[in-house]
Amino acid sequence: MKKVGVFVCHCGTNISQTVHCEKLAEAAKTLPGVAFSTEYKYMCSDPGQTMIKEAIAEHGLDRVVVAACSPRMHETTFRKCIDSGGLNPYMLEIANIREQCSWVHSDKDKATAKAGDLVNMAVAKVLKNEQLPSSFIPVHKRALVIGGGIAGIQAALDIADTGYHVDLVEREPSIGGKMAQIDKTFPTMDCSACILTPKMVDASQHPNITIIPYSEVEKVDGYVGNFDVTIRRKASYVDSVKCTGCGLCSEKCPSKKIPSEFECNLGTRPAIYSPFPQAIPNKPVIDRENCRYFKTGKCKICARVCTADAVNFEDQDEMVQIRYGAIVVATGYTLYDHSQYGEYGYGHYKDVISGLEFERLVNASGPTMGKIKRPSDNTEPKNVVFIKCVGSRDKARGHDYCSRACCMYTAKHATMVRDKIKDSQAIIFYMDIRTPGKNYEEFYLRGVEEYGVTYVRGRVSRIYEEGEGENRKLIVQGEDTLLGKQVFVDADMVVLATAMEPQPDAAGFARKIGISYDQNNFFSEAHPKLRPVETLSAGIYLAGACQGPKDIPDTVAQAGAAAAKVVALLSKDEMETEPIVAKVDTDRCSGCGFCIPICPYKAISFTDLTERVHGSVAWGPTGKEVKRQVANVNNGLCQGCGACTVNCRAGALDLLGFTNEQILAEVDSLW
Amino acid sequence: MKDTVIHATNTIAIRHEMRNIARNLLEIQAVDLILGWKKGILPNKSAPAFIHRPDQVDDLIFDEFCYHNLTKFLLGCPDRQDRIADNEDRLKTAIFVKGCDSRSLIGLIQDNQITRENVYIIGIDCPGLKEEHNTTILAKKCETCYTATPVEYDILIDSPDKRPENPNGLKGFQAHRDLAKIENMPPAERGAYWQQMFQSCIRCYACRNVCPVCSCKECCFDQTLPNWVGKGNNTSDNGFYHLVRAMHVAGRCVSCGECERSCPMHLPVMLLNSKLGLSIEELFDEPPASMNFDVTATLNHFKPEDPEEFM
Repeated sequence: MKKVGVFVCHCGTNISQTVHCEKLAEAAKTLPGVAFSTEYKYMCSDPGQTMIKEAIAEHGLDRVVVAACSPRMHETTFRKCIDSGGLNPYMLEIANIREQCSWVHSDKDKATAKAGDLVNMAVAKVLKNEQLPSSFIPVHKRALVIGGGIAGIQAALDIADTGYHVDLVEREPSIGGKMAQIDKTFPTMDCSACILTPKMVDASQHPNITIIPYSEVEKVDGYVGNFDVTIRRKASYVDSVKCTGCGLCSEKCPSKKIPSEFECNLGTRPAIYSPFPQAIPNKPVIDRENCRYFKTGKCKICARVCTADAVNFEDQDEMVQIRYGAIVVATGYTLYDHSQYGEYGYGHYKDVISGLEFERLVNASGPTMGKIKRPSDNTEPKNVVFIKCVGSRDKARGHDYCSRACCMYTAKHATMVRDKIKDSQAIIFYMDIRTPGKNYEEFYLRGVEEYGVTYVRGRVSRIYEEGEGENRKLIVQGEDTLLGKQVFVDADMVVLATAMEPQPDAAGFARKIGISYDQNNFFSEAHPKLRPVETLSAGIYLAGACQGPKDIPDTVAQAGAAAAKVVALLSKDEMETEPIVAKVDTDRCSGCGFCIPICPYKAISFTDLTERVHGSVAWGPTGKEVKRQVANVNNGLCQGCGACTVNCRAGALDLLGFTNEQILAEVDSLW
Repeated sequence: MKDTVIHATNTIAIRHEMRNIARNLLEIQAVDLILGWKKGILPNKSAPAFIHRPDQVDDLIFDEFCYHNLTKFLLGCPDRQDRIADNEDRLKTAIFVKGCDSRSLIGLIQDNQITRENVYIIGIDCPGLKEEHNTTILAKKCETCYTATPVEYDILIDSPDKRPENPNGLKGFQAHRDLAKIENMPPAERGAYWQQMFQSCIRCYACRNVCPVCSCKECCFDQTLPNWVGKGNNTSDNGFYHLVRAMHVAGRCVSCGECERSCPMHLPVMLLNSKLGLSIEELFDEPPASMNFDVTATLNHFKPEDPEEFM
């Protein structure tokens, strides 16, 4: 006979102040199948768990209902508890009488009645529970990191240091990402390149890291422990093995006036180029769009000057398929395009620039050799105005969210202006100043107190140009909300702290690799607090700004966390899979295949079934063997989402642990 | 495949061509069964015909009462199961289809219930059928017809009498005057209307059994574990039956009207299907169900640009 134990938790007073826990436990005793029922202040605590284990032994319980908080909180805890008590961990049901009852009600009697119903349902369901066995799948001990910015580099290094092989895929010709473009880092004012490039070198020289530059992930098949990833190596037209990186080709290339992406279009580059001098790998690629040979069919100067014979105009994109056990997604961010702000000149004013452009202007290896010069006429700006929250915290045209790093980098920029141009003025228009990081507030105050940066609280309503030639200047019109007055500020240059936003192809990429993304197209973590680096797809982890706006310290920390998760996964020879997966009743399956396209994890496929036909089939043969197609679920891929089960009209698909019978038993128990 | 087109000038010629094609197929042993129509016993009724031998082909007819969508018979054909059983290349089944029938045939192929190679499809350009109680009126289901010419065939009997095609989808069609009438009722009256309908249903399951898209191996209404819907014949369980059935065929119903034709209680069984069809058409920018092989049922795939008003 089935014996259910019901354990009611007070959760301190979280539950007991709205639900009569004693009455609830008492009432549960009368439910069919319940052999034991009790209550305790903290069921999840050690004495609480011991109580459950002892009751299992003493009363011979074979299934357990815990009436407590949400299963998302402690289902795993109690599964482990009954497991060590000798039961299959899936002989457990949680009645959520906290989030779904005590927290949302105030009338104690009614809440108790509702809690009674919830317990009633859980008991009805647990009576239909069956022991679910875990299965094991092998783990392929190799990791893939997608994106070679600081997040990807850090994650790759941390994984590689533990002895596992990592492939680092980067779509640009060099790793380094946005951090390579930045001049200095707050709050220490370390030179960005000085702390990044050694890491890039470490990555390139690490025996366990293979950098796959100028390549993109095309397709991800398979499942945790066994991802089959197709990577497209884009044609670079330069044989990276033969090339010595001497740079002669770039020097001699006749097409030199191409705006450099790395310099935010403030500088130029040739058609055969390496993005920056410290690039890794330092092997050039040919930009087919702008190459004279590809445009006119004549030139080939680079091929002629190359002593290593490395230039190959016949190069083609190449697809490679590699198997990985785990994936870290570190695809980073891009910046909001301020040309959507009409009042800031739609991007037409040359001297209204973005923060990243400013980074290039102050960078010693940048287009101005580190001298701050305004782009329109290369003169030194005296009055520099900074505007924060351009595209951030702006529901109308930009994003709802705060981009987090802008307050700090604007403080950094203003400090740098005051430091480099002694007779300058730096004025920052702000909505709020957010400095929640170690030594951040001090950094901001130093800018104000020691460098004399001026902060004006208010939004800028308009920027317009006045004057001609040397006298040309920008007028910044805004409200000083602390004075309650309109202010007009003459500016030689305006720097906009534009929002961080996901890469333009983020949503498509997420769909391609099978992870979810939020309304802003940032990739979603599995749980905002408790699982911040995991995605909902097992074996795929997130690092850096692809998950949400982040500064460098947070990115590095998250990359380390993601690496730890990867290592934990790869350290096992085989992995226990969640047994809550879909199961096919082949007797009911007609092989229509409707579940196949609906499965977001590509876990369902056809399989041939040979069976003997019995009885009197209308016109069919009897006692004959027939072969037909039925659906088959790959337990490794299935995440137990249940999409297939609701799509199966005949109910041939069922989700173990949430079977149709169990759900109907819950519903029926209410009447 | 759409191989051959034969021109027929009138109904007599269509019948003549049907018999010729059928006789030829059986004589060269390309097929061992032909599904078609024959004259019924009652006036204004035609009946399905199962032609095995050349001497039976003269039974074949095509008139304005050939309602039967014969495609569902393919599921029970011995030919189909035997072939799977023996894994040998046996003879095919040939089937006559009107436009709407051809869509349900595509549906069955999309549902992996029959394979295209195992059927020889003889299409007939449809002039539109007539109501059996009043032969001057176009049959209701034909008012919403998208396809007078079958969308798939091996050989087509083309006719100048064919009904002009409506490219505009379900919207604005006359047959939906019934739907509009019900939707305009005050809620209480509308509730009473459905109650009345569900009350009259005798749960004979004829509408399900005849439906060409109902191809489940074990229908959910027949299952006892779990007991999805009560088996009793009462208004509430009957209502569940009709609603669940409508949901199960939503996005796949080809409006062939077989459910309504077969209902012994003459209930407007198609109404719910039409309503769902109309909603799907309004929500998703896709062709109606089973118009071609490439587009699977609307509710069975997702696209990034699908509307997500609920998100």
